[in-house]
Amino acid sequence: MVKNAQVISMYWLTHIGLIFFLYPADIIESTGAGHWIPILVGYSIHVVVLYVYLKGLRLADGHSLPDILAMAGRHAAAVLLAPVFIYLTLVLIITARAYGEIINLLYLENTPLWATIALLLGIAAYVASLGLESMMRTGLLLFGLCLPFAVFVLASSFQNADWHYFLPVMDERSSSFSFLTAQPFLKSLFAFGGGFLFLGFVQPRLHYHHRKLLLSSLVLLPLFLISVYVPILTFGQNTASTFLFPFLMATDTVDIDYLIFERTTLFFMLSMIVFVIIFLALVLWKTTIIAGRFAKIPIKPFTAVWALVLWLASLQLKDWQNVEELLGWNTYFRLYIMFVIPFITLALGYRHARSKRGDQTYESPS
Amino acid sequence: MKNDKEGELMSILQQLKFRAKTDDDLLLEPIRISGQEAIFIAQRSLIDLPATLNSLYQRSANPASGCVVLGKPIPDPEEKELLTAILEGQGLLWLEADRCFVAVTPIAKTLSRSIETPTTENVLRGSISAFVEDLDTNIGLIRKHEPSSTLLTREFHFGKIGHKRVVLLYKDDLIEPQLKQSIMEQLNRHAEQELSNLQMLSLILGFPKWTLVTKFNTSELPQEAETALNLGKAVLLVDRMPFAVILPSLLWDMFAVQNDRNFPAVFMGLIRFLRILAVFTNIIIPGLYVALVSVNPDVLRIEMALSIAKSRVDVPYPSIVETLLLLFILELTLEASIRLPKSIGPTVTMVGGIILGQAVVSAKLVSNLLIIILAATSISSSVVVGFQNSFSVRLFKYLLLVLSAIFGVIGLIGGLVIICAYLSSVTSFGIPYLQLYKSGRGPNG
Repeated sequence: MVKNAQVISMYWLTHIGLIFFLYPADIIESTGAGHWIPILVGYSIHVVVLYVYLKGLRLADGHSLPDILAMAGRHAAAVLLAPVFIYLTLVLIITARAYGEIINLLYLENTPLWATIALLLGIAAYVASLGLESMMRTGLLLFGLCLPFAVFVLASSFQNADWHYFLPVMDERSSSFSFLTAQPFLKSLFAFGGGFLFLGFVQPRLHYHHRKLLLSSLVLLPLFLISVYVPILTFGQNTASTFLFPFLMATDTVDIDYLIFERTTLFFMLSMIVFVIIFLALVLWKTTIIAGRFAKIPIKPFTAVWALVLWLASLQLKDWQNVEELLGWNTYFRLYIMFVIPFITLALGYRHARSKRGDQTYESPS
Repeated sequence: MKNDKEGELMSILQQLKFRAKTDDDLLLEPIRISGQEAIFIAQRSLIDLPATLNSLYQRSANPASGCVVLGKPIPDPEEKELLTAILEGQGLLWLEADRCFVAVTPIAKTLSRSIETPTTENVLRGSISAFVEDLDTNIGLIRKHEPSSTLLTREFHFGKIGHKRVVLLYKDDLIEPQLKQSIMEQLNRHAEQELSNLQMLSLILGFPKWTLVTKFNTSELPQEAETALNLGKAVLLVDRMPFAVILPSLLWDMFAVQNDRNFPAVFMGLIRFLRILAVFTNIIIPGLYVALVSVNPDVLRIEMALSIAKSRVDVPYPSIVETLLLLFILELTLEASIRLPKSIGPTVTMVGGIILGQAVVSAKLVSNLLIIILAATSISSSVVVGFQNSFSVRLFKYLLLVLSAIFGVIGLIGGLVIICAYLSSVTSFGIPYLQLYKSGRGPNG
């Protein structure tokens, strides 16, 4: 079944959910001026990696990623998948915890953190337990519902922009690409590396046109730019770099007379939280798929138990500092996901395509 | 051998006579026809006796007498078979001299109302004839609306002795073969089951018992059935049920009726948009009120927050309690106005709505704002198309209400995610509930 709309909206939604929170702070921290350079670099890496990954998937006849890795042998597949599993688990813990804190910070001062995280993980587990098709339909539906609000906030977020802050266009630090190896930039890859992996998991049950998906990633570029430049244009680099969530601060300054709500952040945050819940569900589902390859387990109970484990784990983090540290450690796994997995997929895809061609030439005379 | 058979026939007759003693409706009328003794057997309530006998006498006056002229002889009758025929409104004639049962077509009593206007679905502009209880009339109504050679019907019988007729209608060139196949399989597999209400039909079709959205739509209007058929859906007509059951039911059916197309396209779009808004209003507003009053007053503009706080100054309990209290009374009013005769209904509405509403506010039991919100809620729950759909909408808002009371606006949005996920997971015969249905197209949604 070809489900372009579902897959593309899921791809957008998972990325949009990640872009607007931690990403701007990391980019603003990574360089003092010319932020478009790290953004473009990150985005280019994303597109290249995405292209390689999709190419590999296509060469492998649209098998799912675990199936493709299994072509390298059962043990090799286990070795290759283990870091993926750890990465996804860490992503779940970090995301649940970080967004739980953000929610508490913004809306639920009196609610204990465990309850907020339980809400996030509980809903995500429910969505994940419904299976791939339902999850993708949920994604499309929610994307349609939340998009108007997100677009409204993005459009209104320029209200207090001072375009002079766009200058200087670049400085020595950004033009020399010295930020490449700095921790903030590597952390910012979180927004690029978190979402694309699912494209290999939805196959072969859902098909999509790889070219259209690649084209659709263009939509994300302006969003990456907006997420960084809105706070910079509103506050300037020096002030913006002091905020934990610069984009949210920038939207908080927007004042629209005709709304009965005090802050436009409300709508934006709510849409983003919806996207994050779907992201959590998707990642949770991926981990159950990987776990299901190595152990025969009933999916639904496992999803519930696994969500419980993640909930306990995310409560073990003491404070925001811990979250940041974990995010830092996760960088290595992220680099593995972003660079090793796509290229291995491509290599195995080539091997599969060649062996298939070999079979065909062998068979054709008969 | 012949004696055996005769004995069997006599015993069947005896049993019928015995049955007539306990069932006064079973009529065994001795008559004399073509110069021989006969007994006419039928269900008294289903036939017009004088007219039937009259017609029998007329037919028997034909010189080529014999049982063939009167009706079709039944060669090897069995009691069960005869009984089924009688219960279906057939007449039987026992001819004493020929020693055989003959099935005769009686003149039936008119037991069905004539075609009337719909009672649960109003039509503003468009055909206002609605389905009646009689199955054949209903098929005729659909055929009138859709005079097409590809419209096929298939009859099924349900129950231990096979009395309840169900007819499946579909357009052969439009329906997906898989959908048709699976519906027919389900109907054939459960032929033994009794069928007297929609829950039983739902079980027969293999739907889970605990579903929160209707898996089939019902409509009283032949034009809706026609549209469904032209979309490649299947229509089931059940004897004695004055509506068509349309399979599969989809989310979009909540917002669109065929009748909308009798308006200009712009208005049609606006009406449908209004219905979508109404569903959101209904689901979200009570939850939003609780969230904004109890948990997140800070997201409101300060003037607004103050005015809400002022209206709640003397209200003694948390907003979730006042909301539930008033919602409960509203649900009661709604149920009561359905049950009551039309002459008393408005009284209940007035007492419930105006007097109670006013009194409840003056007694400081709930805030003014809540009255507005709940009025909007109860109105909007009825905006969706299809009476059965409004139940789902009414139910969903309680989930949001509870989550909002605990988690504020985040709980509200979380509840929406849960509802969306639930709707996404519902499928009937493999067709997702969220799909935009077009005939001849694979599921997409």
